Amino acid sequence: MVSVINTVDTSHEDMIHDAQMDYYGTRLATCSSDRTVKIFDVRNGGQILVADLRGHEGPVWQVAWAHPMFGNILASCSYDRKVIVWKEENGAWDKMYEYTGHESSVNSVCWGPYEFGLILACGSSDGAISLLTLTGDQQWDVKKISNAHTIGCNAVSWAPAVVPGSLIDQPSGQKPNYVKRFVSGGCDNLVKLWKEEDGQWKEDQKLEAHSDWVRDVGWAPSIGLPTSTIASCSQDGRVFIWTCDDPAGNTWTAKLLHKFNDVVWHVSWSITGNILAVSGGDNKVTLWKESMEGQWACISDVSKGQGAVSTITDTQQNEQ
Amino acid sequence: MAARWSSENVVVEFRDAQATAMSVDCLGSHAVLSGRRFLYLVDLEAPSEPPRKIGRHSKWDVGTVQWNPHGSEAHIFAASSNQRVDLYSWRDGCGEAHSSLQGHTRVISDLDWSWFDPELLVTSSVDTYIYIWDTRDARKPTVALSAVAGASQVKWNRKNQNLLASSHDGDVRIWDKRKPNTAVEYVAAHLSKIHGLDWHPDGEFVFATSSQDNSVRFWDFRQPRKYLNILSCQVPVWKARYTPFSNGLVTVMVPQLRRENSLLLWSTLDLNSPVHAFVGHDDVVLEFQWRPQKAGSKDFQLVTWSRDQTLRIWRVDPQLQKLCVSDGVEDLMEGMSLTVDTEKSPSSQGPEGQLSGAGDGLLDQGGSQSSGTRQDLAPGSGLTQTLQQEFSLVNQQIRNVNMEMDAMNRSCVVSAHFGSHQVHLVVKFPDQYPNNAAPTFQFVSPTTISSTMKTKIQKILRDTSLQKVKRNLNCLEPCVRQLVSCLESDMTQEDSPASGPFVLPNPVTPSLQAFPRVTNTYGSYQDANIPFPRTSGARFCGTGCLVYFTRPISMHRSAPAIEPTPRSLSALSAYHSGVLTPMKMRSESQSTLRLYSGSPTRSDKDTVSISSFYYKERKLPVSASRRWSVQTLYDWPKSRRFKTKREGADYSNRPIKLAGKVIVQDISCLLPVHKTLGENYILNMSDIQETCQKNAAAALAVERRDVAKVWALASAATSQDLSPDSDPDTETPWARHPFGRRLLETLLDHYSHMSDVQTLAMLCSVFKAQAPPPDCSTLYGQLPRLPSHHPRYSSFTSSSVTSGSCSSTSDSINASTWTAVRDPDHISPWGEPSPDDYRYGGQAYTDPRERERDQHDMNKRLLDPANMPQFDDFKKCYGEILYRWGLRDKRADVLKFASCPPEPHKGIEFGVYCCHCRSQARGTQCAVCKHLTFQCAVCHVAVRGSSNFCLSCGHGGHTNHMMDWFRRQDECPAGCGCHCLLQSTF
Repeated sequence: MVSVINTVDTSHEDMIHDAQMDYYGTRLATCSSDRTVKIFDVRNGGQILVADLRGHEGPVWQVAWAHPMFGNILASCSYDRKVIVWKEENGAWDKMYEYTGHESSVNSVCWGPYEFGLILACGSSDGAISLLTLTGDQQWDVKKISNAHTIGCNAVSWAPAVVPGSLIDQPSGQKPNYVKRFVSGGCDNLVKLWKEEDGQWKEDQKLEAHSDWVRDVGWAPSIGLPTSTIASCSQDGRVFIWTCDDPAGNTWTAKLLHKFNDVVWHVSWSITGNILAVSGGDNKVTLWKESMEGQWACISDVSKGQGAVSTITDTQQNEQ
Repeated sequence: MAARWSSENVVVEFRDAQATAMSVDCLGSHAVLSGRRFLYLVDLEAPSEPPRKIGRHSKWDVGTVQWNPHGSEAHIFAASSNQRVDLYSWRDGCGEAHSSLQGHTRVISDLDWSWFDPELLVTSSVDTYIYIWDTRDARKPTVALSAVAGASQVKWNRKNQNLLASSHDGDVRIWDKRKPNTAVEYVAAHLSKIHGLDWHPDGEFVFATSSQDNSVRFWDFRQPRKYLNILSCQVPVWKARYTPFSNGLVTVMVPQLRRENSLLLWSTLDLNSPVHAFVGHDDVVLEFQWRPQKAGSKDFQLVTWSRDQTLRIWRVDPQLQKLCVSDGVEDLMEGMSLTVDTEKSPSSQGPEGQLSGAGDGLLDQGGSQSSGTRQDLAPGSGLTQTLQQEFSLVNQQIRNVNMEMDAMNRSCVVSAHFGSHQVHLVVKFPDQYPNNAAPTFQFVSPTTISSTMKTKIQKILRDTSLQKVKRNLNCLEPCVRQLVSCLESDMTQEDSPASGPFVLPNPVTPSLQAFPRVTNTYGSYQDANIPFPRTSGARFCGTGCLVYFTRPISMHRSAPAIEPTPRSLSALSAYHSGVLTPMKMRSESQSTLRLYSGSPTRSDKDTVSISSFYYKERKLPVSASRRWSVQTLYDWPKSRRFKTKREGADYSNRPIKLAGKVIVQDISCLLPVHKTLGENYILNMSDIQETCQKNAAAALAVERRDVAKVWALASAATSQDLSPDSDPDTETPWARHPFGRRLLETLLDHYSHMSDVQTLAMLCSVFKAQAPPPDCSTLYGQLPRLPSHHPRYSSFTSSSVTSGSCSSTSDSINASTWTAVRDPDHISPWGEPSPDDYRYGGQAYTDPRERERDQHDMNKRLLDPANMPQFDDFKKCYGEILYRWGLRDKRADVLKFASCPPEPHKGIEFGVYCCHCRSQARGTQCAVCKHLTFQCAVCHVAVRGSSNFCLSCGHGGHTNHMMDWFRRQDECPAGCGCHCLLQSTF
């Protein structure tokens, strides 16, 4: 059964903009317009405030947990143009790094796959995307893609380190030479794919379909299949699923998931990459699943035998 | 430059005029001031001369007065008084009312002479009618436009004689006087009342509206849905009028608030900050008009009338006019420490624009200045006045700060206490201040902060003040605010244990330091590029959780549901005065009137947040909300205290919840992977049959019948009687049967579509286990075929080294060893060979039987070797999921079956050099001299494959020969006398 296992009262003093659990699902990080980031221990249905991170001077838009092999690390980005990397040391959360290289609100942060080490992509309203890498000597190396999206970049999402296309062609016996790739969406209504070549970031693909600002992009996790999948959502209310079977990664086809009546703000993939959670200005969350035939259907209000998710917002409203 | 004209303005006081309206005639010679008892005619050429008066007898104030703009009728002016318009004529020093227009039933809100027809006058009234009068027939209006709603403004178009615009609450209607029945166009311009409307002097379709909602918007009525541009002010805007020179705009704030007495001049090309402030009036400006330009003069003159009962004439010289065009923008950019990109000049101007915005806000809140402190002003005394005025306007309520101001000595002592620190700062203002002359800042004892901090603050204050005085703006309060924020952030750093080794030097800090607080509030011009914040979201986390949050149920969208959520943050700027709940504003326009009586506090404005966009169901107790916003603004340590207090059951006084709950939902049943299965699945190498049966039972237990059947099939396919014969000639292996590899492929394909990585990985593991690679004996029997370059591993057999890093069990060692050995011609001896290797690699075999056996090995396997990398990915991905579930043993079990490549060798690599010609060689024969490259010291045959040699003398040979030799001897078999065993370890 789909069941509510926890309801966390964050006590934020203003509206919440993002909530994310860590790798194991034991801790929850939330961020808000009240300029704080909060971390809760949510094991066993509890909610213990672990940390109340203050450092941002504006509303905090997004948080991102790093892979636990690097320790307990959280990144946050804000209207105040800053990206802050927080780290837990001996139970205390501290600022590990503060990046102020953007000239406008930073709207999105996303950690790369652990195979690449600690690497953070940040998308900002100044149109640039920054890539912050922790080097061996504990310094942060900054690479910036200027004018990645004219007007502004709204979202970034990394490709899984397993690039299916390259698996087939990969020279036998070589350690797979993962290519760093990520996808971004911006105010130019475009979804762009980026690839690192010889240490330089290059625009790989430009996907056009949206008719208004792209608000979020999500690269689906890979389970080893040779297809890459990306979801994008936009102010125009549309959600597109982009797929690429081409090993070279050049041909992407778009499929319209749904046209919503209001802006769609966020897309999120399940760990197996077959369910997409969509949320937006209509204050609703819907879940979408791909059928065996490759059709996408909304499952959140369909009684699917055991799992009747029903409309999630209703559930929440009943509780309040 | 600005200093020059600022001091040259003309100030005339009409102490008893009590005029409510003012107008300048089209010749520029007269201004009329309308008081209750008299109309005063001021000769603008000699303004200080006593004005002529026209008596009037009415208990009503004059609402609007306006001269006829046509030269032929320049002696006529119209003045509205309650429901009536009186027409006056002024000739030769005396005037009289010659007719009146009566028709409105309620008070007249505005009147306007036509620009084209000297006889036409339009009036608007609260009675919902707009009348167009022909002054030759005063009995009744010639045209009546019915608007249903009362109008606040009415203005003739300056380019089209038929068009006029009227404002009704937040809407603008465009009328064609030939079609009186209905408006030509509706423009939903603002969310609250429009106070001012002005047509562009040159554009037929363009006009500007100023509104209670703190913004001026520019419109083209052909595109009524989207404004051309928006000027966000910190205060409600009373009037915004275009300047007679291009690209300029002058704004004044709503007089009822009585907070801001300056007129601001803006460039319409750059609305981030005003280009100039006309500072001087002691009370709010009631009316301002441009005096027609005199022939031959490049100057313009702005005539203003204020509640302080002074008429001022400001000269706007060409230099100031130029500020409104692009040069001015560049001028303002001087001294900006941020990188200036000409393409994106707005972004580089950001901090400045914001700063000034904040500064205006600060000025605003100084509160109304009582007109009792007004001084008699003479031209030239403007400077002292400015400083005094600033001092009187400075907000003394800044927390922890005390200011002693001494206008006579042009200095000010600022003392601040923060925790254990105190700061005393003497600010001295030069004579020219604020006209491009910054004050000096000096710390005096008993200041307790460190000298580095002092330097830092000094720099910040200097930067801030320069930013301000460059535009002739006062800077004391902005500087004090900077000081406070700087000290506060420093205290915060000291408080938090964070400032340890992890705070890395920040390369960008220096340029931004001057503006540490710029981003605190919304309202920056850049907001137009910033996406509207998400107030709901859902994210899959961990393995089976969906975390989501939505807007609290108590927060309603105040916009109609059909209207989509705005896309950019600038939408919030419309809601800047926090008192207004924006969504409701339209329907409850009366509530906006409330604003006139009370003045909103600054903190209300500053806490504009995303939540302002949404209408809150419950009304907050005023005290709570006020306290709340103040706390969040300035005082986070305190607010923390406040919070704890609030948590202490003080629910009655609790402010409305702005943050909803975050809900974690278990959606694992929707996923194709099951944690229970992950726990119960086993992988028993020794008994595949049992593994399959147990797994089938586990699948049944969680009602995955399909998977149970799959396990049954797997059990059948792995049964002993189907195990392939080692001799390729006896029978076709089961893998070649339709129920063999092909069936398995179909299954894998099916579960791929389901994204059931659990089943995929388990099947791959089981079938990999079922077809173990040839056992060790076979393997080593093939040793002679090993590639010759293996000596790169000094004294180990290459095979064991290759596999060593792979994983811990013998099975996987064998697996990778096997593949390594199979792969004779590849540089790196590990990993799964690609299909090509199997297809073409066989050419290397000298013996066709070997090749056949090889082929047979491939054929025996149920899993297609070509897809091995993919199968490995399934396992890797499933392993990752098991890890998240905390099932590390299970993960290790699965990963045993992954033929994952080890880390590439990073260490000493051995190359083979021909012992005869010293050239680097590959293979057994040197390409240059055709000798054998590496001969075994014992049998003198060329060495391929497993070999050992001495690191000291370089002799060596086949591993088994060497082993045999050194079992009995300790000297080198080549006879060189080297004690190889002692020198190197075999």
